[in-house]
Amino acid sequence: MNKHEPTQRTYLGIPVPRPKVAFFELSSCEGCQLQLVNNETTLLNFLSLVDIRAFREAMTEKYDDYTIAFVEGSVTRSDEIERLKKIRATAAVLVAFGSCACFGGVNQLKNRFQDPAWVKKEVYGSHPIETNDTARPLEDFVKVDLKIFGCPVKKEEVEKIVTNVVLGKTIVAPKYPVCMECKANENTCLFDLGEPCLGPITRGGCDSWCPNSRFGCWGCRGPAVDANVEQMQEVMKKHGFSEETMLDRLECFGGFAGHAAEMRNNIKAK
Amino acid sequence: MLFRTAEKTELKALFDMLVEKNTVVGPVQTDTDRMGKPLFAFEPVTDQAKLRLDYTTTRLPAKRYFLPFREDLATFTTDGRDWTKTIGYNIDRPYVLFGLHACDINALNKLDKVLMGPVYPMPYYAAKRKNMFIIGTDCRPQPFCFCRSMGADTVLHGFDLFLTDIGDKYFIEIQSAEAYEVAKDLRTETPTEADHMQFMRTVAEMNKLFTAHVDTTDLTKILDMEFQSPVWKQWGDKCLGCGTCSNVCPTCYCYGVEETVDVSLKKARKTKTLYSCNVVDFAEVAGGHNFRPERSTRLKYRYYHKHRGFVEAYEESLCVGCGRCGEACLAGITVPEVIASVRGEEQ
Amino acid sequence: MDHRLAFHNVIPHKHKYHRTSDLDSFEFTYKAEITSVYKLTEQEILYRIRIMDPEDRRHFSFHPGQFIMLELPGIGEAPFSISSSPSNHEDIELCIRAVGNLTTVLSRAPRGTRVGIRGPFGTSFPMERMHGGNILLIAGGLGLVPLRSPIAHVQEHRSMFDHVDIVYGTKDASRLLFKFQYEMWKKDDIGLHLILEKAEPSWTGPVGYIPKVLEEIVKSRDDSFIHNTYAIVCGPPVMFKSVCTMLAERGIPMQKMFVDLERRMHCGMGKCCRCNVGSTYTCLSGPVFDYWTVMNLKEAI
Repeated sequence: MNKHEPTQRTYLGIPVPRPKVAFFELSSCEGCQLQLVNNETTLLNFLSLVDIRAFREAMTEKYDDYTIAFVEGSVTRSDEIERLKKIRATAAVLVAFGSCACFGGVNQLKNRFQDPAWVKKEVYGSHPIETNDTARPLEDFVKVDLKIFGCPVKKEEVEKIVTNVVLGKTIVAPKYPVCMECKANENTCLFDLGEPCLGPITRGGCDSWCPNSRFGCWGCRGPAVDANVEQMQEVMKKHGFSEETMLDRLECFGGFAGHAAEMRNNIKAK
Repeated sequence: MLFRTAEKTELKALFDMLVEKNTVVGPVQTDTDRMGKPLFAFEPVTDQAKLRLDYTTTRLPAKRYFLPFREDLATFTTDGRDWTKTIGYNIDRPYVLFGLHACDINALNKLDKVLMGPVYPMPYYAAKRKNMFIIGTDCRPQPFCFCRSMGADTVLHGFDLFLTDIGDKYFIEIQSAEAYEVAKDLRTETPTEADHMQFMRTVAEMNKLFTAHVDTTDLTKILDMEFQSPVWKQWGDKCLGCGTCSNVCPTCYCYGVEETVDVSLKKARKTKTLYSCNVVDFAEVAGGHNFRPERSTRLKYRYYHKHRGFVEAYEESLCVGCGRCGEACLAGITVPEVIASVRGEEQ
Repeated sequence: MDHRLAFHNVIPHKHKYHRTSDLDSFEFTYKAEITSVYKLTEQEILYRIRIMDPEDRRHFSFHPGQFIMLELPGIGEAPFSISSSPSNHEDIELCIRAVGNLTTVLSRAPRGTRVGIRGPFGTSFPMERMHGGNILLIAGGLGLVPLRSPIAHVQEHRSMFDHVDIVYGTKDASRLLFKFQYEMWKKDDIGLHLILEKAEPSWTGPVGYIPKVLEEIVKSRDDSFIHNTYAIVCGPPVMFKSVCTMLAERGIPMQKMFVDLERRMHCGMGKCCRCNVGSTYTCLSGPVFDYWTVMNLKEAI
């Protein structure tokens, strides 16, 4: 973007690097990248914070010298594995960008079917496409340095994280569940309204985006630290929701894959 | 304290008089729950007809007006290596809080002790507290209310006006000079002996309605003795660690501070966010060590702070028995049950 | 009927030097400049900072064991024990290990960086009460940092104390802090007893844990020694517990042992509750507690 190297930026006299950043997408809707270009008021500031070398949603030119790679999407094809490994080899920092990259996302819903051939036939019909049997998160193939959760990611959170990265601040995702932010937003609890919600066990940071619109949480950010999934099952039951209702949500984005599998096993054992 | 009585119709006069030039906040119905029961919240009200003084309890206290969930403690502008810190207390007007129950006013009185006491008074709270005109109202105890056990069913100070419905009229307590000025413009009368009797009867009737109780006898000692009690583990297993109990609590004031740099790198802010001791990283320190990694130790800590530590410091507990935490807890953890279990009582 | 309620300004005027009771001092920050950055070990840096306003600087004073809140705008604010002499009104020294958010950024801050400081906060080591007695200053790891302030007091008032011993243990020799001062301490007739958990063959001193050295010191002195001795202890919970238990067995009363508890304060003023141990505010009732109080704090050990 900038032909000339800008003078070294500082913050309070402390040098601030302008890292070379690239965005990539594997199997995804590119909705996370779209989030970033969504708000023009901060976009310019954001663009001056980093030197963007590749970003399909915002520019046509592409360079492959970058230190930070934001990779959106899950791995569902063998060529994506190769691409991902190449990105990993170039990038000093690899960021799993959004829930698909972190957990497999909505794409991993196909993993719960026993017969992959049937899935392919249902989805692609008479125009088959070469895909792997399962949709996988990035960390199943390469080392991931940083995860940015959400389906989609929250623009404000991404800007904060990137600002913190260039400043050298430590990056810590919220450890508390969605309920914290939901209460701060003074929403009526969805259970009071007779709606199921995974807010009590799902990692916050989304500013209770869905509950703010009276839409129960589906757990896109995966489990909060120390999430009490067992008790959540009790809560669901107490409010008259079936195990399948809970499993639908636990399985939706892949963040709770382990918990969902355990729950299914327990049901089978019963 | 000055006592007056007024016809019920004077309520509208009082409301209209205050709403004309001020922001009035009061209980309104915001939702209906799945059982068909109304849900109430404290919201700005401009029309007296919307004000629901017959409300049971609000899901959240009027916390937004005295301890906002998020507020900036300071903002910074930077210029090279230099910076300027600007401090503001985030209040620009007085608020009329119309229709607080005794428990919620007592909650403010408790908060005053720690947030406006002689040791490092907190201006962010004080500025809001000093700009509150509080009109209290009587209430009917709900099945979850245990304010009487906590000595918070009546309130002696900390408000401006208090209205008690004694049947055909209001019994009015006037606490402040400002309230006196307001009441002067209402049609009020000196209470008769019959009014006094009616007031006392009303309160006595209310007292009969309590069904939830907490035995606070020797509670500080008992909590000390039962520090290792296995009941904490049982409650900890149930606890979701979601922080809701603290967020709906009118006396929970714990917080965290975070600083953020604007994406322009020219501005920064220091933000205070109310936090909950039940949340996993409440007692985590730089480097990652967590002093309370288990849900049970965190839940226990919350009870120790409220029912032991605060009592040691101020001779009263940091709980008004409003029952909101138990009502909001999806896991169904309630204060009366927890305390009873610590005391070894079967529920 | 004009019932416009009056707006009360809670802050009539400034008293920035009456900090505990003044509303406006809550967020008041002294602007200070980092005047020296000195790398002590691979992990720790010693910063010297100076309050920029000369009058503020003159008014700022603290007692050994107290802490300040150090702020780098937009980066963060965290508590740090003051690690320099209370009689030095020009500079404050802080020894900081880069483990968290603020400290990591701080480790890249050059000389001349302007930081904010609030405080001083908390309780201190009652040095005057110890006059006429012996002192054992016992530190594990980073625990030497807050002890440097009482050590400086001892050096400046050496005649007020009888035996003074520093017992300092770290993981290995590379972690030893303030090596440049060891000779000065010895010259002031302060016994310096180092012990490492793991040592290179070149190390001639003892290897093991602190109580081992303490045993030897106590054994080498006569019976009256222990009865006139105070202990100042700072280190991780396992360390101070074993040290204090051992000293209590040897006969030092619990109220003559002082422990510095480290917690993560967010306010420093008894409001945020983040540093609470049991239900005691470490920032107000501590960080320095006598050992009896520590034993009575639920959760402390």
